[in-house]
Amino acid sequence: MKKLLVFGMVLALAIFATATLSAADATEIMKQSHLAYYYSGDDGMAKVSMKIVSKSGKERIREFTILRLDIEDGGQQKYYTYFKKPSDVSRLTFMVWKYPGGDDKRWLYMPAIDLIKQISAGDKTASFVNSDFTYEDISGRHWTEDVHTIISESETVDGKEAYLISSIPVKKYKGFAEKKSWIDKKTNLPLKEEYYDKKGELEKIFSADVIEEIGGFPTITQRTIKIIKKNKYTTLTFDEITYNTGLGDEIFTERYLKTPPRKYIK
Amino acid sequence: MKRYKNRVGLILPLIILISVGIATPAQSEVEVNGFVEGLWTGGVDDNNVTDRDYTAAETRLQLRLESYGESAEAFAKLDFVQDGFDSTSYDWEVREAYLKFRLPIGIDFKIGRQILTWGTGDLLFINDVFAKDYQSFFIGRQDQYLKAPQTALRAEWYNRFGSFAIVLIPDFEPNIIPTGDRLSFYNPLQMSIVGSDGYMPPVEPDNNFDNTEIAFRYSRSIAGFSFAGYAYRGFYKDPRGYNPVDDYIYFPRLNVYGSSLRGQIAGGIVWLEGGYYDSREDVDGDNYFVENSSIKGFVGFEKELMTDFTANLQFQVEQMVDYESYVNSQDALITSSMLPPNVPRVDEQKTMITSRLRKQVYSQTVTFSLFGFYSPSDKDSHIRFSAEYKYSDELSLMAGGNVFDGDQPSTSFGQFDLNDNVYLKVNYGF
Repeated sequence: MKKLLVFGMVLALAIFATATLSAADATEIMKQSHLAYYYSGDDGMAKVSMKIVSKSGKERIREFTILRLDIEDGGQQKYYTYFKKPSDVSRLTFMVWKYPGGDDKRWLYMPAIDLIKQISAGDKTASFVNSDFTYEDISGRHWTEDVHTIISESETVDGKEAYLISSIPVKKYKGFAEKKSWIDKKTNLPLKEEYYDKKGELEKIFSADVIEEIGGFPTITQRTIKIIKKNKYTTLTFDEITYNTGLGDEIFTERYLKTPPRKYIK
Repeated sequence: MKRYKNRVGLILPLIILISVGIATPAQSEVEVNGFVEGLWTGGVDDNNVTDRDYTAAETRLQLRLESYGESAEAFAKLDFVQDGFDSTSYDWEVREAYLKFRLPIGIDFKIGRQILTWGTGDLLFINDVFAKDYQSFFIGRQDQYLKAPQTALRAEWYNRFGSFAIVLIPDFEPNIIPTGDRLSFYNPLQMSIVGSDGYMPPVEPDNNFDNTEIAFRYSRSIAGFSFAGYAYRGFYKDPRGYNPVDDYIYFPRLNVYGSSLRGQIAGGIVWLEGGYYDSREDVDGDNYFVENSSIKGFVGFEKELMTDFTANLQFQVEQMVDYESYVNSQDALITSSMLPPNVPRVDEQKTMITSRLRKQVYSQTVTFSLFGFYSPSDKDSHIRFSAEYKYSDELSLMAGGNVFDGDQPSTSFGQFDLNDNVYLKVNYGF
């Protein structure tokens, strides 16, 4: 009887330990994944081509250059976007100062009227330039906003070993009720994500279509978000990626919003 | 307009050529894009006194040419417009043609024909003293046409204290306001709404060194808010002066001093702006024929209330300085029978409320927009509404309208009461 009790206690302790360890591990994995995905190097830039495909197969194309500067790993970041296509937004620039846990600051410069407009932080689940990517998909959802649990440690996606992690928002959130992420064990990058609504129905799927190593950083150079129920998708392709170019803080100001840094934006 | 166009027409191609030469490294090329747009605007009031039944029927080609190097860029925007009323009538405009370059000591220059904007208001302007095209604004052209281009030199110096901008405009260009051809308006001398037969071309300031307009702005960030101080020496951009001796209207001298603040509060954007309009040709306010000085201020707030639904609200007050002198000068003219006894009297205080509502649906391909001006003091209003459908990256369709209302024909929007219109626009971008 005593033995059984001790055994029981040990077992309970072990389960408890595993559970806490697992939660801690899951959070750590998601943190590392977030850093690998959104914070490679101290800065980065790329030419982005966005293909938005509707249910009927109609395509819309956006082309822009994106510059990023990390103020703090996992923390504050600055983004600068210069639009090239389509024609009606060409030469338009957009700047975001991202504050995880706070309200982002956003500015838009409309060259046709020489106007810098500060726009309210707004809904992070809103579409980014008509696409199926949300603002949050572009600049990242902080890992502390969800509770993470490891579902499986022995998944494979396209031959890559991966963790399967479930993430549930701490606060009620419109973006998803649950997210399942397959995180590459080697690169920490998300290989696939499934977003479920509150009814438990699959809403959208993210996939890392192409991963390349650039400047020592594994990088998702092509990614797709598919909206399952609406049968539409958006693919983002990144070209001419560079990291640690030494982008100065001054680029992320109204001055450069009005006159793009042509050294980087061609 | 002719006079000005000819001169600019000669100088600008030269500027463009030189600019492209300086800014372009040998391997870079000129990028070209633009749009073709058809606009049909019909007046809905049969009693209007304008020459035309249609307010607009035009086909517009806009070409944008751009070339740049690492520290300089050249840009030109040319509009070719064919007026559908008269198949032989076409016009062209150099909307922008400038050279931008950057000195390593933190100074950016922008020289040439350009659009100039500053200040914080949404379609309300106090310290933005640059030319506006209200005619385009009222007949359904794209919003960008509200800002009329000017030929100017702009220099902005950025340093650790903030940014200092100076704009020099050597050749005065007024606001483009209704002339009775497309839109009827109130003529205070005739005290009635008139068409083009009641239009009196105003006399512009002479083109000399002393008449160069100078606008200055200092701006910096304070505790996350963007602060700016402004000063301007130039002229009213509307003909706010009348010379009773020689019987002509003109643009009196004006100085403006003001400041603004903008920042993020409660998940939205708040802005605040004020200014003192110093009417230099009527410093005591006792010249009835020249606009009095005034103090203006507005406050605004904008927030995204739901996904893809943004709303804002602005409140503006304009207080006339030396109101008593204005009243006395008017009374004296009425007594001496130089003015009829029923001449309208402007209020000492003018208030204005505006609101913009914007909703996007269908993956942001359809945009509904509503903008309203309402003046509780003048009891007049202007409502702008539109629906736009972006069929593809290239093609968009837009339908909209402008409604003007007012108790008195002499107020800002009341004078356009007969100009209510609806329009249809098709745009192909390339």
